[in-house]
Amino acid sequence: MYGGSPVTLVPITYKGGIYQHDIVIDLIEDLGGYIIQKHVIAAEVVLQCFVPREDIDLIRQIAKPLFGEVTDTPLVGTEIAIVSMSLEIHHLPHPSCDIAEYVRRIGAKSNMVSLARGPGKRIAGLNDEERDVINEHDIAVYLLGNFESCIEYKMPTLRRGIEVPIVLCGGPDTETLKKIIDPPVDGYVGNVGRFMRRTKEADEIEKLDEIIAEIIRVLEKKREEIQKDPLSVSPARLMGLINEKVPAIHGVTSPTPLTVQMAGLRVKLPYDTFAGDLRKLEIEDGILIGDIAEVVPSRMRDYILVKILPFSETNMVI
Amino acid sequence: MPAIDYFEVECPEPLGAEYYRQITNDVLLDHNLLRVIHKLHIYIDPKVPIFVAVGILKKITTRVRVGDFANVNPLEGKITLVISDETYLAPMLRIFWQKFGKEHVEQPDRFTVILYDVKADLKEIEEIIVADPSESLYKDLIYAFRCIAPEGFRLRSEKFSKEKFSFVASENTLTENIDEIIQEKFACMGEVP
Repeated sequence: MYGGSPVTLVPITYKGGIYQHDIVIDLIEDLGGYIIQKHVIAAEVVLQCFVPREDIDLIRQIAKPLFGEVTDTPLVGTEIAIVSMSLEIHHLPHPSCDIAEYVRRIGAKSNMVSLARGPGKRIAGLNDEERDVINEHDIAVYLLGNFESCIEYKMPTLRRGIEVPIVLCGGPDTETLKKIIDPPVDGYVGNVGRFMRRTKEADEIEKLDEIIAEIIRVLEKKREEIQKDPLSVSPARLMGLINEKVPAIHGVTSPTPLTVQMAGLRVKLPYDTFAGDLRKLEIEDGILIGDIAEVVPSRMRDYILVKILPFSETNMVI
Repeated sequence: MPAIDYFEVECPEPLGAEYYRQITNDVLLDHNLLRVIHKLHIYIDPKVPIFVAVGILKKITTRVRVGDFANVNPLEGKITLVISDETYLAPMLRIFWQKFGKEHVEQPDRFTVILYDVKADLKEIEEIIVADPSESLYKDLIYAFRCIAPEGFRLRSEKFSKEKFSFVASENTLTENIDEIIQEKFACMGEVP
């Protein structure tokens, strides 16, 4: 399709019984939507998908007799790096895992990136592999400690070379964080430093909601930026295409063999074997993936990273 | 659970002190150490940086006897023990085997142990000491304070005695005047190191 008004796809989550859920899957696909992830948990199905905005009511209507539930989940189709200072008992499982798990509930694919030399003040550092891995995500959520002077001292080192938006969580209140971080980062959540208890009280859950709200706000801004120079193809569409034409992807045992990002896709297949084939994959009318996207090796294992180029570089939107 | 008589966290950043107070409380509670600490003073200065914890320990006997976790019922020449907590089951069996011989000890299921033809009365069996958790107390305390102290503070100096302890940690080489700091912090609690 060249020109014309593009359909706006919005992220939603469908939750319902396993009985006749294929009707919903067929419907979403017929409407031109994409299913990003499908979880079958006992007798329940959870579908994270992109659907055309104007058809959400139709899906609700058809899912009603099946007792299906459709909710807005703005983080579907994003990959978030939860940057924890270490894998020691000091930071895990609380708060790092609590936050990583909470963002998963509203659709995000979260990866925990733990730094080899994260803890401490003078000794804190970020190596090139960590920097590159963080840069492969849509957003980085930094979980720092409780002391203002420590955060002020180590943050310039920890953010060196990071190009993705950063949301900073730390013990001091939000105003103080804003004051001590120069140049500013994209988002701040105060009063979430290091703690050694599970987040289960109402006020602690509220804090997690605050982190989510901040992540959504920052990602919305990024989405708007992308809209100004739209991508040549939707990452979800590429996902559907690879699923259909690269059978090897079905043999991958990772929970998400294809991870959709806001402007790309992580393909969990070995780069050396599959990168060439991926580049030559035809999307439509003779346009190949290699024409509209960069297929590069990921720093995460030997995966492939597909970075979709914007309209301004390829002069086409399909 | 008895509370600590004196518990202070001193820090130039008031909010940081409040968080560390919470962390200390959570960690000590998780490791079941609140009952052994009488007084505790923690001093953190992230600018130096240094972490100091000084305290006074309680004198408690924590020996675990058979009667603490098992119901002992004598019946027709045999003694049946119904175990309520499996934690000390293995050391208890080992002691029984040594004392009475394996042929007199039987364990039909996880929570039952039967003693046959043993020449010991009920009281005697209930009083057998199975374990003494205070043996690992210092190890537990050091582990707990390592959890409480900021993670980057890896250079440590610890002194643990029967009644008092001090724990100092920093990420820089510890200076010679840490003894003075320890003395000062003990004085805050009205004690001497």
